[in-house]
Amino acid sequence: MIAAELAKQARRPRAWVTLATMAAVPALLTLVIGATRPTLTERVGDYGSVVTNSSGLTLPLIALSAMLLFMLPLAVAIFAGECVAGEASWGSLRYLLSRPVARWRVLAAKATVAGIYSTAAVLLVVIVALVSGAIAFGLHSLTVLDIQHTTPFIVASAKLAPLTAVGRLGLASAFVLASLTSTFAFALLLSTLTARPFSAVAGAVGFGLVSRALDNVPGLHALSPWLPVTDEAGNLWTGFFTRPMQTVGIPHALLVQALYTGVFAVCALTWFARKDVLS
Amino acid sequence: MIAAELAQQWRRPRTLATLGALGCFTFALTIALALSGGGDLQRVGDIPLLIVPDRAGASIPVIALASTMKFFLPLAVAIFAGESIAGDAASGRLRYALARPLPRSRYLLAKLLVALLLSLVAVVLVPLAALLAGTIAFGWHPLTAIDGSSSTSLHSAIVTLEPATTIVRLGIADAYVAAGMLSIFAFAFLLSTLTTQPFAAVAGGVGLTLVSRVLNADYLPGVAVLNSWMPNNDVDLWEHFLQRPTQTAGMSHFLLLQLIYAAVFLGAAWWWFQRRDILA
Repeated sequence: MIAAELAKQARRPRAWVTLATMAAVPALLTLVIGATRPTLTERVGDYGSVVTNSSGLTLPLIALSAMLLFMLPLAVAIFAGECVAGEASWGSLRYLLSRPVARWRVLAAKATVAGIYSTAAVLLVVIVALVSGAIAFGLHSLTVLDIQHTTPFIVASAKLAPLTAVGRLGLASAFVLASLTSTFAFALLLSTLTARPFSAVAGAVGFGLVSRALDNVPGLHALSPWLPVTDEAGNLWTGFFTRPMQTVGIPHALLVQALYTGVFAVCALTWFARKDVLS
Repeated sequence: MIAAELAQQWRRPRTLATLGALGCFTFALTIALALSGGGDLQRVGDIPLLIVPDRAGASIPVIALASTMKFFLPLAVAIFAGESIAGDAASGRLRYALARPLPRSRYLLAKLLVALLLSLVAVVLVPLAALLAGTIAFGWHPLTAIDGSSSTSLHSAIVTLEPATTIVRLGIADAYVAAGMLSIFAFAFLLSTLTTQPFAAVAGGVGLTLVSRVLNADYLPGVAVLNSWMPNNDVDLWEHFLQRPTQTAGMSHFLLLQLIYAAVFLGAAWWWFQRRDILA
């Protein structure tokens, strides 16, 4: 069932357009940076900074940092938001559910496939950025300047050998993926609620926006650690590139993601199991 | 026609819910600050201004404007503009509204003016409600802010504004924010003539603020060229009205930009609506 779903989605242009865009942006970033400003420092996350022409390994960091705000959540929202609502808008949901398979299994298969595509989107960004960066600037060791701990007297920086840096990139991608799960689960929930894929996708993007807007209200700082999408939690992956590695806050961020994901997933399952399917 | 339209929109739960949510937000903000963090320096905006909220009630409108201008206010404006025509189309009333022996432009104009008025109410409501809540909670005192951009670690540039001055400055700042919503308003209004799904028009209007924010040099290296042409990036310049001396650099450019965006989007909306086949 998962294989059939995977094959079906792979034939849809939407999946290809989304993935192609995800690949094009880092390649374009490399071009723009390589052509106009290779020697400038670029900020990465809250307190990191890299100089691009020192190593091609800087490009995945810049790409992740730039796309985490909007492009990656959008891709995840598209894959998760379209999965059930897309069938409903085509009118094929009722035929899909008329097969003698439990509804929760249908939803689980849909969610698994959407998850695979979302993972592919994030990995694609990192890999394309890494390859294009390596072609443009070479695979040298990666130097990350830690702005937060740099004073006029000490420059705090970490130098990572290419292999180590690639390993850390893997860790960072895994964390970025994990930080997108609440958006994914919310899009999935909306997808079971509406028959319009656009509403589900826009709603999931709006979910991140509301959370970020609440995060930026002075005076509501007490709320921040418990919001699903915040700049601070989203940028924790940059801690993997400092020396020593900073992992403070990562378990908490993962816990918050797990909580939101769990609640939304349970809601989606219970709702979908008893939904009147009209289309 | 305008009066009838206004009465109709005013009775809709959506209008009251949107305005109510904005008003409640300012009160919730005040209560949250009164309970915790009211005595601490809060960073407001990009300059940044550093403000201790519980010293003056007038600090609440500043904080409320700063925290609503990037998302909640554009959302409210997009709701009013995006629902105006698409809302009628979705409920099947559009064809009857247009069956009356009136030119379509009159209908469009009435919709436009009412949506503009409601958006303006939203933008004015936020600082007013915040001022009320802030004055009740923290009193009517002069507003003191530390100007983060011209302060060093040895010297902090403190700006103190009398209550009356603060209110005048806030009024000007709010007018600037209202003008800064024009491009989003016009874009949502254009979408509202194009689609029969109100939600799509609203989401598109909010999407414009997103595009504006994503194509920003802070996040995406290499797009600095576009920065000064983005529809919503410079809306935060109003904070400079609270500096001393007041800095107005870039404001006239931004206001002109808003006018251009509004003219293009509204012109396109009018052109399209004249020719549109009304099926709903």
